[in-house]
Amino acid sequence: MRVSYYPGCSLEGTAKEYDESTRAVCQALEIELAELEGWNCCGATSAHCTDDFLSLALPARNLSIAERKGLDLVVPCAACYQRLKVAEKKLAQNPLPDFSYEGKIKVKNLIDFYSQEELLEKLSRGVKKPLAGLRVACYYGCLLVRPPKVTDAVNYEDPQNMDELMNLVGAESVNWCYKTDCCGGSLLLSRPDIVIRLIQRILDAALEAGAECVVTCCPMCQSNLDIRQRELSKETGRDYNVPIFHFTELLGLALGSPGITRWLNRHLVSPRELLGAKGLL
Amino acid sequence: MTGNDTIGAVMVVGGGIGGIQAALDLAESGYKVYLVEESPAIGGRMAQLDKTFPTNDCSMCILSPKLVECGRHPNIELLTYSELLDLQGEPGDFKAKVLKQSRYVDPQKCTGCGECAEVCPVEVGSEFDQGLGLRKAIYRPYPQAFPSIFTIDKKDRPPCVQACPAGVNVQGYVALTSKGKFEEAYKLILDELPFPGILGRICPHPCESECRRMSVDEPVAIADLKWFLADKVGTIPPPERKAVKGARVAIVGSGPAGLTAAYYLALEGYQVTVFEALPVIGGMLYVGIPEYRLPRKILKKETAVLKQLGVEFRVNTKLGNDLSLDDIFQQGYGAVFIAVGAHKGQRLGIPREDCEGVVQGVDFLRDLNLGRKPTVGRKVSVIGGGNVAVDASRSALRLGAEEVTILYRRSRAEMPASDEEVEATLSEGVKIEYLVGPVEVMARNGRVDELKCVRMELGEPDASGRRRPIPIPRSEFVVEVDMVISAIGQVPDLSFLEGSGVRLAEKGVAEVDPVTLATSRPGVFAGGDCHTGPGIAIEAVAAGKQAAESIRRHLEGEDLGQGRPAAREKPNNLREIPEGEVRKPREEMATLSLERRGATFDEVRLAFTEDQAVREASRCLDCGTCSECFLCVTACKAEAVNHQLEDEVVELRVGSIILAPGFELFDPKLRGEYGYGRYQNVVTSLEFERILSASGPYQGEVLRPGDKQHPKRIAWIQCVGSRDTSLGNGYCSSVCCMYAIKEAIIAREHQPDLELTIFYNDIRAFGKGFEGYYKNAKKLGIRFVNSIVSGVKELTRSKNLLLSYAANGEVKEEEFDLVVLSVGLRIPQGLRKLADSLGIQLNKYGFCHTDEFGPTQTSRPGVFVCGVFQGPKDIPETVVQASAAAACSGALLSPARNTLVQEKEYPPEKDVDGEEPRVGLFICHCGINIAGFLSVPQVKEYAASLPYVVFADDNLYTCSQDTQERIKEKIQEYNLNRVVVASCSPRTHEPLFQRTLREAGLNPYLFEMANIRDQCSWVHMQEPEKATAKAKALVKMALARAAQLRPLHKQSLGLTHQALVIGGGVAGMTAALALAEQGFKTYIVEREKELGGLVNRVYTRANGEDPQQFLRSLIERVISSQLIEVLTDTTVVNTEGLVGNFKSTVQDSEGRQRTLEHGVIIVATGASEYRGQEYMLGHDGRVLTLSDLEQKLALAPEEVTRAQDIVMVLCVGPSPDIGEYCSRICCTVAIKNALRIKELNPNANIYIIYRDIRTYGLREELYTRAREKGVIFIRFPEGNQPQVQAVDGRLQTRVLDSILGQELTLNTDLLVLATALIPQEGARQLGAILKVPVTAEGFFHEAHVKLRPVDFASDGIFLCGAAHYPKSIDEAVAHALAAVSRACTVLAKERLEVGGAISQVDTDKCTACLTCVRVCPYQVPVIENGAAHIEAGKCRGCGICVAECPARAIQLLHYKDEQVIVEAAALLAGL
Repeated sequence: MRVSYYPGCSLEGTAKEYDESTRAVCQALEIELAELEGWNCCGATSAHCTDDFLSLALPARNLSIAERKGLDLVVPCAACYQRLKVAEKKLAQNPLPDFSYEGKIKVKNLIDFYSQEELLEKLSRGVKKPLAGLRVACYYGCLLVRPPKVTDAVNYEDPQNMDELMNLVGAESVNWCYKTDCCGGSLLLSRPDIVIRLIQRILDAALEAGAECVVTCCPMCQSNLDIRQRELSKETGRDYNVPIFHFTELLGLALGSPGITRWLNRHLVSPRELLGAKGLL
Repeated sequence: MTGNDTIGAVMVVGGGIGGIQAALDLAESGYKVYLVEESPAIGGRMAQLDKTFPTNDCSMCILSPKLVECGRHPNIELLTYSELLDLQGEPGDFKAKVLKQSRYVDPQKCTGCGECAEVCPVEVGSEFDQGLGLRKAIYRPYPQAFPSIFTIDKKDRPPCVQACPAGVNVQGYVALTSKGKFEEAYKLILDELPFPGILGRICPHPCESECRRMSVDEPVAIADLKWFLADKVGTIPPPERKAVKGARVAIVGSGPAGLTAAYYLALEGYQVTVFEALPVIGGMLYVGIPEYRLPRKILKKETAVLKQLGVEFRVNTKLGNDLSLDDIFQQGYGAVFIAVGAHKGQRLGIPREDCEGVVQGVDFLRDLNLGRKPTVGRKVSVIGGGNVAVDASRSALRLGAEEVTILYRRSRAEMPASDEEVEATLSEGVKIEYLVGPVEVMARNGRVDELKCVRMELGEPDASGRRRPIPIPRSEFVVEVDMVISAIGQVPDLSFLEGSGVRLAEKGVAEVDPVTLATSRPGVFAGGDCHTGPGIAIEAVAAGKQAAESIRRHLEGEDLGQGRPAAREKPNNLREIPEGEVRKPREEMATLSLERRGATFDEVRLAFTEDQAVREASRCLDCGTCSECFLCVTACKAEAVNHQLEDEVVELRVGSIILAPGFELFDPKLRGEYGYGRYQNVVTSLEFERILSASGPYQGEVLRPGDKQHPKRIAWIQCVGSRDTSLGNGYCSSVCCMYAIKEAIIAREHQPDLELTIFYNDIRAFGKGFEGYYKNAKKLGIRFVNSIVSGVKELTRSKNLLLSYAANGEVKEEEFDLVVLSVGLRIPQGLRKLADSLGIQLNKYGFCHTDEFGPTQTSRPGVFVCGVFQGPKDIPETVVQASAAAACSGALLSPARNTLVQEKEYPPEKDVDGEEPRVGLFICHCGINIAGFLSVPQVKEYAASLPYVVFADDNLYTCSQDTQERIKEKIQEYNLNRVVVASCSPRTHEPLFQRTLREAGLNPYLFEMANIRDQCSWVHMQEPEKATAKAKALVKMALARAAQLRPLHKQSLGLTHQALVIGGGVAGMTAALALAEQGFKTYIVEREKELGGLVNRVYTRANGEDPQQFLRSLIERVISSQLIEVLTDTTVVNTEGLVGNFKSTVQDSEGRQRTLEHGVIIVATGASEYRGQEYMLGHDGRVLTLSDLEQKLALAPEEVTRAQDIVMVLCVGPSPDIGEYCSRICCTVAIKNALRIKELNPNANIYIIYRDIRTYGLREELYTRAREKGVIFIRFPEGNQPQVQAVDGRLQTRVLDSILGQELTLNTDLLVLATALIPQEGARQLGAILKVPVTAEGFFHEAHVKLRPVDFASDGIFLCGAAHYPKSIDEAVAHALAAVSRACTVLAKERLEVGGAISQVDTDKCTACLTCVRVCPYQVPVIENGAAHIEAGKCRGCGICVAECPARAIQLLHYKDEQVIVEAAALLAGL
């Protein structure tokens, strides 16, 4: 299976391990990722709220490149996905002459992509180290599923497909209702006071639901939840030490991908203790 | 259309309260009614409600008598569980096609006893309880349901049954097993399968592959359950064999196909001989399957049954050598079934496969099973992937092989052997190598030594659908072996058929007709493996059954194929898998430990325990709902259950149709943020009604569905699905605010410590008595929060709910234990389709389109509408519209009145005079309303000992139809001459029981009621012992009085078929016209000089219709009507008489009087606009009322358009001492005019200052449009009335905006006051003349707010229009028509019955003191011939004169002194 791949800037920097684990999982599932040639920023940074034209033209250019390749475009970053989907919808109404895009290829986020039956089967067969006993809270964040008219998500109040992936590789996903709450990622630097409150709600809810870690599918969510825990502990006096995974890391772990140690080294809250205790490292 | 062609019948579609009311009105007015209802019983949504607002009456209690009245009416034919399919024809003469769905219960025979439901093993969610409770597959929706008969909920055959080749009723035996009915379950299997023990063990269960439980977790272990049942129940005597017939049948082969055919043919009575080549019976079952899977004793036990049925077995008899087909026919057999199986192993086709040490798997197993102890090698390779390969390898292991390896050329996924067999094989130590095929056998000294193999990869799927194995070049390898077992398939050996006239197909199998299994030679049939090639046993069983049927037909000379379908249909109508079905792991059978398996052939798997079997069977999802276990058939003593009953389509001729199909609830899952369906403790409002209901799933306790705990904090979220344009529902559902308030109040009554909060947009308390109800709720401490809840989260541990909302400029989170979603009303999809096929126009929301001035007329003439289908509305408005639709139907069909009706015929009354009283007592449980709070058995036991009581009974619901039948039965059986019912109130239920007595031939006055509910169980809920004692006393009193009761008879009076309408506004004129259309002469008396009333000042309608034009045409029609006489400038000064015969004196402004005679009165005096002093009204020309504004807009619009800033203040006056109520229409009228101003002057600034905007129903669209057009709405907090003052000659309005929390100052060029509509001056006076009540505010007071909205308590006097309460034009029109419909129930009669319980004067004792004349509120007594005379027809039976008469000369019949005194005596006797 061959698809176009749009890593986006986070996966080249702060979420490098997301990129690496995505590539490792794809390799195990015999998926060839054709990284989009000459891709540019998706517009999720300041462009989408400062310049209407740029907000469309940036993702449109990427779509246009992908369509020329004729391969569906897979996007791991939820923010990139959101921008590309917005462009996909808008271009269907008002095409941009410079970046032709006729909608012949589909934009898929990584979770939806993995959730196709054929890959689920492969994944299930490929499990070498079932994540038995690992209780995870699947956290989808706000950008992957909302608003549904952009993302086409059907189950946008209570998405399930990351949970299904986790259960498939042997982990136990807990039932909780903060799956799509905002983590404050966009205020990460400007309003830490708000961010702290938001991530506390999310982490508390995950812990209350019995989870031992949180699994994400958005590089911003992952880093936001990961980075602020020390500060949060200091502020609340409660010791927050909740590993925050990219979901591909756990898939990779289950599939026996060798890169796992390298990926985990980049986390601020170390998952080693947890995974070690479960006999998974 | 002439009268002769008009059909005097009406079809009412929908059996909710609307349909019931329409049906009753029409039936009472001389028309035949067909009441068509989709569900099994009438009652509709109202039956599901707990209490009703604003009176808190019990919904079921006020509905139940109507259900019975409707169900028992001689002119109403109920077509329940039926649907209208098609309507042809024209007004007056329609042909309607109705589908009567089969209930599988004969309604004529069913007594409603419920025995069937007792035994039914299938439980599914009860629709009536909104899925919170359970019902059986055979059910009655609720105890008081009418008709009270049962219905079987039967869907398609479930997939498991469809998947079983033999058609075994899987769901049936699984359901029975789940209830521990093992023997019944076992017998059910035997109907289709004679060998449960065998198949339970060896069947690869295609049924489980289709089991829908898979989508939840894993399929039900169907085969294992069969195994359990066979072991548990063992063999029971075979079914009765039919009388032995002469014909003989030969069966060749004793495998599953042959044995099955033999079994069924033997049961049919044929003489069957089975020829078997082997020395044993069972075919492959015996020689192909090792003992550890199928113990011989099981096989022998189940085949022994055939011998009991007289089947003859000839073993060691092989066709071909010993005898031929011809021989068989010559021996006198009439038919032959060839079922010789496929016992010949397929060759590998590789070099040296015939050398020593290479054996066929089937041969190996046969030797083993025949006790020939085959020798095995040390290292064994088994080739193949089917059950034979698996069986052979496990057997080889048991026979001492050291190493057994299965070589299979495909992968695990393609392996035909069943999963559990493969697992067991692996666990016993057999190795399996996938993707390996043999190439060559290498031999040393003629004996196998090595096996050369090649590795495979999978290519494209082949004909079998499995991926084809392709050898990988140069991948050969060699395995060292000393035995090879080849198990790649079997073929039949049919060489004996050569020259027999039976043709073979290419593959060496028999060629047969697929349905009849007939071969090319007549009388010869073939089936099983010898026809299909190697298959599974259950397919052979199916073939055996097929053959048996064909052979029977052949022998009886019937057509072989007729009526036998070639393929089964795929089920599509199956029970939906319940939301949130809990995962339950599949039960595993225990297995023999590996050590114990060792070298023995002991059975490896061990049957379920009973507990396991019940648990496993309970996992079934009951896909077909009814499991067809047929226990109901045996349980029904009335022989009413018949699973063969079919649907029926009937064609009915009717003159008109009334559509009253009701609504469905908005799907709360579409508002996903509230978590309905995901969070256990988020319920819909209707679910909460059921929770509150005493007959509901929790018996009226307020519990959370999640954990059945008492909640402490409950929140209501309003407008779920309503006023929501994002979901396409831009309308207000009209009822949710009030029902939420009611639910909160009732919940508080049930549990006083509850904290109750209602989150709302606007509280729409726009109906009569609603505002007071709302205020009272606030007084009770119910908290109202004006905010839309943005999301609900469930707390993981407590399952409490966290609500987020914004209030006072802050985002808040608050925790609750239970959340109720106030879901809106909408039109179901099915109804849209029906409307489409009927040619009825709908609006964009799917509500039926009607116009303002004809609110019940659909777009198709002759078809009328009422209730929520016309637009969201509550119960009284539905009842009003129902009566209005009935009036329209009645007017259309009046030429055919009384042509199709029949008088109720009663048996002659028994003369009980002089008989000793024989009293029958019936004590009602009222569900738990009575029985839950006092001891009914104790009361019964006590009462049974009292004098004259010859029979005492207690009933779940004494008012239900089956109890009426029971009462009648008992009257006959015990020759009762008095009946006492101890239950609820005679006010609601006495007429029902009296009619029952009459039907049993007793005078209705021989009945007495003791109210042990309202006056006992309800008021002494906390004191069960004292309540029981009080109930005893009440019953004792009633019994004492009953013994004193005497029969009374009514008199028949003629009546005046004319009507008086008081008030000449739209309501009055509409009423008069409708009466005239029905053929009744009508007087309109109007106080003003002109007709028209309030509408004279209405110039526009929001939807563009012209009220002035409407009014003009109405007046024209009234004036030109031959049957209407208009008396303007005239008032009613006196009214005498009673229903049927009123005499009214009217007087004009010049004092001229005239007397009118009429049978009925309709009060339509309207209301007027309040004009007080508020806000300088009347002092400053810039201050207008709404109607002033409307008039200006129509006549001098420039006076309005030159204003730049226009302020409208809603809710102005009247002063609170009149009582605060909502005038209902002002919000709409204000917004309508605001829009009109915006049209004329788009730049005008319009500010509407309000408390709540109450644009109920479709009026909500106006509110939306006004906001879109830029009208500014400012909500002010309660108690902060806006202030207006003149500053430098300019008006300024100051108002505190409750959303901004700031005071605003608005320039005001024009100030428009939405003043209240107040009762008409003189209403109280008219009330006094007519002796009818008015409310505190001065509106007329109807008999019952919910169900009698246009009647007065006094017979023959009706009410309509704004005299009742403020109304819009369409509502007033509907109200007027409804009053006419009710009036026609009187006028349509030829004579009226009067008398009964009335006062009677003993002239000997009367001293003509005039006391009675003075005290009678109805002015009935007169002095004639020196004594008082009381006219029977006029006396209302109030009894005041009796109490006052100093000479005790007056007695009130039915309440004579002695009848009252005995009651008191009975009460005091024990003290």
